Amino acid sequence: MPTVCDTRSEMAAVQDAPVEADNEKEIKTETLNDAAGNHASAAGGVIPSPPVASTSSSGPAKAGGPGSEEQQTLMAVLQFLKKNNFVGAVDVLRREAGILEDSDESQGQELAASALGGAEAGDATCTLSRASSCTTSTPAVAAAPAKGGEDQPDVNVVLSAYSQQGDPALYQGYYSGLKKFVESVLDCHRAELSQLFYPLFVHMYLELVYNNHETEAKAFFEKFSGDQECYYQDDLRVLSGLTKKEHMKGNETLLDFRTSKFVLRISRDSYQLLKRHLQERQNNQIWNIIQEHLYIDIFDGMPRSKSQIDSMSGSLAGEAKREANKAKVFYGLLKEPEIDVPLDDEDEEGENEEGKPKKKKPKKDSMGSKSKKQDPNAPQQNRIPLPELKDSDKLDKIMYMKEATKRIRLGPESLPSICFYTFLNAYQGLTAVDFTDDSSLIAGGFADSTVRVWSVTPKKLRSVKSAADLNLIDKESDDVLERIMDEKSASESKILYGHSGPVYGVSFSPDRNYLLSCSEDGTVRLWSLQTFTCLVGYKGHNYPVWDTQFSPYGYYFISGGHDRVARLWATDHYQPLRMFAGHLADITCTQFHPNSNYVATGSADRTVRLWDILNGNCVRIFTGHKGPIHSLAFSPNGKYLASGATDGRVLLWDIGHGLMIGELKGHTDTVYSLKFSRDGEILASGSMDNTVRLWDSIKAFDDIETDDFTAATGHIHLPENSQELLLGTYMTKSTPVIHLHFTRRNLLLAAGAYNP
Amino acid sequence: MASPKTLPKDAQVMVQILKDMGINEYEPRVINQMLEFTYRYVTTIIEDAKIYATHAKKSSVDADDIRLAIQCRMDQSFTSPPPRDFLLEVARQKNQTPLPLIKPYTGPRLPPDRYCLTAPNYRLKSLQKKVTTSAGRITVPRLSVGAVSSRPTTPTLGTPSVQSVTTKVSTPVSLTGQRFTVQIPSSQAASAKSATPSTPTVQNVLINQSLIGSKNILITTNMVSQNSASDSSSLKRKHEEDDDYDAL
Repeated sequence: MPTVCDTRSEMAAVQDAPVEADNEKEIKTETLNDAAGNHASAAGGVIPSPPVASTSSSGPAKAGGPGSEEQQTLMAVLQFLKKNNFVGAVDVLRREAGILEDSDESQGQELAASALGGAEAGDATCTLSRASSCTTSTPAVAAAPAKGGEDQPDVNVVLSAYSQQGDPALYQGYYSGLKKFVESVLDCHRAELSQLFYPLFVHMYLELVYNNHETEAKAFFEKFSGDQECYYQDDLRVLSGLTKKEHMKGNETLLDFRTSKFVLRISRDSYQLLKRHLQERQNNQIWNIIQEHLYIDIFDGMPRSKSQIDSMSGSLAGEAKREANKAKVFYGLLKEPEIDVPLDDEDEEGENEEGKPKKKKPKKDSMGSKSKKQDPNAPQQNRIPLPELKDSDKLDKIMYMKEATKRIRLGPESLPSICFYTFLNAYQGLTAVDFTDDSSLIAGGFADSTVRVWSVTPKKLRSVKSAADLNLIDKESDDVLERIMDEKSASESKILYGHSGPVYGVSFSPDRNYLLSCSEDGTVRLWSLQTFTCLVGYKGHNYPVWDTQFSPYGYYFISGGHDRVARLWATDHYQPLRMFAGHLADITCTQFHPNSNYVATGSADRTVRLWDILNGNCVRIFTGHKGPIHSLAFSPNGKYLASGATDGRVLLWDIGHGLMIGELKGHTDTVYSLKFSRDGEILASGSMDNTVRLWDSIKAFDDIETDDFTAATGHIHLPENSQELLLGTYMTKSTPVIHLHFTRRNLLLAAGAYNP
Repeated sequence: MASPKTLPKDAQVMVQILKDMGINEYEPRVINQMLEFTYRYVTTIIEDAKIYATHAKKSSVDADDIRLAIQCRMDQSFTSPPPRDFLLEVARQKNQTPLPLIKPYTGPRLPPDRYCLTAPNYRLKSLQKKVTTSAGRITVPRLSVGAVSSRPTTPTLGTPSVQSVTTKVSTPVSLTGQRFTVQIPSSQAASAKSATPSTPTVQNVLINQSLIGSKNILITTNMVSQNSASDSSSLKRKHEEDDDYDAL
């Protein structure tokens, strides 16, 4: 309140007003003191530019008698007093100011018009909407506008100049008031209503910073930042360094946060309680802020417990609205193409027992029978165009199926062996690793902007001969594929130069012909693994690209980076085909669904989003992580998604229903790699804490019974069974695990750089 | 000399900043790097501000100059990604077009050659120098390939070679156009591949389209005809010798 007085005296001094101004000031102060809540609520949370405009416009008011601006303020004050039925004060003011009774009505209209005009000159829409929201949402306010809406704005606009300075104290008051209220409600509602604290705190703080109230912002921050949940500490630390409006300008994440609505899911009962409390007179300001910045998704049912809420919250945008997770997702797998007869012939040449060929045939038939009935959860074959299989691809598939028969069945009793590939002498420069599907090649991306490819098998890496030599070979011979290779170039590893920044992601194509790498220089490069040269540089992100991945069928690939957008590219288009925008912060991890129709992106805003390639829509939003997400893995049957983040937890999501179905706690540091075994029985996770852990995924997915209730309300009570699901922890010798890969026979390969 | 245990004041401030931002584990070199960055940044800003102040004919640098300097530097070096509404709008437009169908059996699926990095970025030095003594009777096809280094670095074209081409052979070459056109005045249809500079008497060379990406490579053939003025040809040769040292 003292701050308000100061402003008024300032205004009076500037306007060089006569005695009336002093009277105004006294009366005004009194009325303001009496009806602090009222006027503040009437003023609403008006944004800065109109008050700035009005102060500047009223600033240069000339001396000598009341100028037009001062007249306006007089009128505004008069109307205010009238509304609050301070008849005596109204008379005194009128007498002192020498205003005729009938002139103030018309002046009032004028004032309203001019105020509206002035407001529109500034950043008006918010003001008007706030004013209108004030009028619509404050029926309980004693200062209900008797004359309708038009009087309210002018009072608001003019008074906002004063209330703005009063805001900081009010903000603290509002927040403390809310705290007291939440502490006073029943236990069952308290957990849900406590969700309000963090978004409100951040929005109010940002509002203060944005309006250049630096000291008040700092005071507000100091007073209330300690109350927030522990998992918001990183955000709060960033906020603590942000005290001026200029600081906010470069920070896109915060700007997005300010303009987007934080989603809260609250049960109807708790919501009614909250609404009733806030619509009382003194709490309108908070109500307005809530309406402006929060989106409250109401559900019918039992209020959630603290643990339930904690498991789902943590992201920068709140939780996901129920509608966001309601779209139909085709998570089934595409049908395997039928491979021709040669399969049987080759096998007969192989192991050659009577039993075996018979086993092969039914295997082929069973695949055929599956293809006859369409899985309702699988996308159409031609939903998105996919490259057709070439002969080499068909051979690959045959190899794949052969290997699949020799696959070890894993389970809690039969754990996989783990083979660790350690990168020595990397000096913390190893930033990305990938294996080919048949585990024959390893690629490593390094901070010195090189990409190195190694051969895992004894077979060396060879590049294709030069054009001159290729003319000389016999094209008709059977082993032409070997003859095109230049024996002189054989080596264990090849180095690929081309990027101008650390390489943050590498990905092999399924046919082992290409390698993708993405880097801090903003480009994604396609390398040929036959000539070991760079073929294409895809430019589009102008900022570091953090991850890239080829589609399981080749041809398409995605990249995600600092510009908060993930792009879908095809190798033969120099521009992206799809852009997936929606994340609030950098995209740190990208992964294709096994059926190549969907793409999952994990971001530093702590959400995982699932996008449909066909139309670019976001079909799922998964919240619950408390730190940026660094690894994603789809289960081989396409139904489930696992994500790992810097908080050390691995969360399991059911894609069809859009729910969290499991939480695996155990790691103590960022989970950098996740992989399901070939048949989905085991989930392996590798982390910065130098361990690889194996989890029983069959058991984790088995326990889920998604009945209608949980599907409707979207929350499930997660069993605390991480310990039971943990099958083993394997320590490395100070080597963080960056990548995991199951060979076709279910041997687990892991990769990392030795970091003593 | 300061004893190793007491850091200079700046370094102590930097340690405190790192602590406030929650960074507790770092290599000791980080402090030096941060201090270096701070020093360089502040110096740049103040120098810029000084320039602006002198431009505005002010006697001393004031806060407005500093503010302007910071703003300009922010727009230039420390840019931030586009805002969300812009991204959403662009994404909406891009996502409306259906996915293009895939042509079957096309070999390696790569973008058009001008967007690839597959073109050679070298050129061959010819044997021209030895021929100057004779009366220019021997025609040696001169193959000079002014190369453009691949993007993202800025492409540089060997422009002198272009000029020499146009003076002699009048080969209109559109460098910035979409397509690369080379018109060879004489209409002889020898279709030898241009990658063979060893044949001495080739007068006309058809450019092999596959070696050309118009922004990436410039292949020029300069035909030295027998009776042409040897001084002009020697001039041209001098040009082209200079070309040898062009930065590629």
